[in-house]
Amino acid sequence: MKYDVVVVGAGPAGLAAAYKLASAGFKVLVLERGREPGAKELYGGRIYAYWLDRFLPEFRKDAPVDRWVRKERVTLLTENKALTVESAVLEKERSSFVVPLVSFVSWMAKLAQNTGAKIVTEVTVDALVRDEKGRFVGVQSGSDMVQADFIIDAEGVNRLLLERAGIVKKLEPHYVAVGVKEVLKFENKKVLEERLGLDEDEGLAWAIAGYPTEYLPGGGFIYTYKDSLALGVVVYLKNWEKLRTPVYDLVERLRLHPYIASLVKGATLQEYGGHMTPVAGINMAPPRFYYDGLLIAGDAAGFLLHTGVLIRGVDFAIASGVLAAEAIKEAKSPSAEDLSVYEKKLRTSFILPQLEKFRGADKLLGDEALFKDLAVFSTEAAYRYFNIDDEHRTLLEAAREASKKTGISILKIMINMLRAVRSL
Amino acid sequence: MKIVVLTKAAVPLSSAIRIDPKTGTLIREGVPLTVNIWDRDAVEFALRLKDRYGGEVIALSMAPPSGIPALESLIGMGVDRAILASDRAFAGADTWATAHVLAKTIEKYIPDYDLVVAGEETIDSTTAHIGAQTASWLGVPYIYYVYDAEVKGRTLVVRRFLEDEGVDEVYEVDMPAVISVLKGSQIPREVRLSRKLNAREYIQVVSNKELGLDPECVGLRGSPTLVAGMAPATYPPRKKVVIQGEPSEVVKKLVEILKSEGVV
Repeated sequence: MKYDVVVVGAGPAGLAAAYKLASAGFKVLVLERGREPGAKELYGGRIYAYWLDRFLPEFRKDAPVDRWVRKERVTLLTENKALTVESAVLEKERSSFVVPLVSFVSWMAKLAQNTGAKIVTEVTVDALVRDEKGRFVGVQSGSDMVQADFIIDAEGVNRLLLERAGIVKKLEPHYVAVGVKEVLKFENKKVLEERLGLDEDEGLAWAIAGYPTEYLPGGGFIYTYKDSLALGVVVYLKNWEKLRTPVYDLVERLRLHPYIASLVKGATLQEYGGHMTPVAGINMAPPRFYYDGLLIAGDAAGFLLHTGVLIRGVDFAIASGVLAAEAIKEAKSPSAEDLSVYEKKLRTSFILPQLEKFRGADKLLGDEALFKDLAVFSTEAAYRYFNIDDEHRTLLEAAREASKKTGISILKIMINMLRAVRSL
Repeated sequence: MKIVVLTKAAVPLSSAIRIDPKTGTLIREGVPLTVNIWDRDAVEFALRLKDRYGGEVIALSMAPPSGIPALESLIGMGVDRAILASDRAFAGADTWATAHVLAKTIEKYIPDYDLVVAGEETIDSTTAHIGAQTASWLGVPYIYYVYDAEVKGRTLVVRRFLEDEGVDEVYEVDMPAVISVLKGSQIPREVRLSRKLNAREYIQVVSNKELGLDPECVGLRGSPTLVAGMAPATYPPRKKVVIQGEPSEVVKKLVEILKSEGVV
């Protein structure tokens, strides 16, 4: 078996590469472990559209979209208090959309197949195969070997092939978080829209910090699909031992929180799932993105931008897949030297510059005190400001009282705010 | 040895079964179909017989064209070829009408079969009828709950296990015969890339034009049973009681609660 290009993983990165290469006449084979493309995937989630217009403009035509996000909500939540900030755009906004990832990925799979890419599912790749000179020349699956001039590793966050090839070390806990989510289905879309105050086809993206993760780094989230919503929790793996509650119970607890429970009352659990997600971004990137015969794209390369509230994986994955395809089209040979054009493309595109820019986000977001202090202090201060009793407090007085009650100094909060403003 | 494996494209998990509360029918929309999980035991069983005695393993299914990916998966496991009996006239069939189509397809396309192997039951219907009814249509013996077999000339020596009784039985049966394989008794082999790659080439689709079955004997019209209604089983809501404290006290409290609930 010999192909021009073998792509490992039928996710957004792998399929984008396969689509572009097959369109250019390359003989492409995509190998996918799951039963169907996207079967092994999970995200919050939403997709940012801006860069798709440059890298995969086809999506505007017929890709599935459940709702365009026009409401962004951030809540600091404690057991009995909440402070919410919402940013809403009232005209038709088309900058990010919510859709079940598997629907979007199966749309991409059809796109790739229609241009001649061959996708084989239920097949696990066990190893990247090297020749005697160390060049990557194929992939091994069970007793079968497929030869290829070029290999694109788009295997996702759990990059076992790169580990086995000695390119990256075993995933470290601080590289990743674990996300667990439920999809809750409403009787019909009207009920969902009324409960969450949404117009028809208007979407909500909601990040919730503090209570959902027992005040540890990470947070809860809600995204609205057509007639259902995703509700989940992301917890940093490095804090695993500090959690007193299993992460799947955290999701249930968030669902039962009085601030949330009334919104999802009566909705039925349609599916649930869990997945790792990269949080270290560029800090977990492999030493290089190109080797002799091999390119690395998507989550496997650490191409996920995570700034707490804004999480971008799919647009980075698709763009990196497209750039990998462009690099292969331009390369005269599969040598690392010729493929180094991939890294140049990553640098001149938005991918590496934006990841570099937020390099420090990981450290701040992983700061244990930040989440606890901010949630506990802010909700308390807001409560005291809005609550009239003997006193009618100024904002400063409310903050001072909150500081006294919670034992968190205003200065510390301000320093953290400053850090957040700068690096998120 | 020519072995036919009966298989169904079913929902992947029993938890994927959803019933429309209004119409009382299964919701198929958005539920990906895949090989009925217990059929993989049957396929593994057949492939092991082939490994031991040589011959050919042929998968047979009755389904709309959406059943093709399930057959591709079995080709990936090592099944030599597959036949999909697919026709609008077959729609709405109960197990009897389905077994009729399966048996007639075997008689027409694999008349020299030695053995027909079925899974114990399907995950989304759980009737366990098809094996028995196919044997009945073919007029050959049927043994179920089989987990092992040996070939001695034209005789098949099978072992079967009756879970409820905890009894292991050995039968001898003349071939051709039909058996169904005890679910969970085999370890299905992995799908192989080299087989899966061109799997579609090994699948033959036959319609009633080729089979020529009486329209009165297939599909809804040929089905003596009708699904009169279906309703999702509802579970009593959980009480969500958390008992905290020393283990010994917690246990005491738990037992008290269970007693007051009439559970113990």
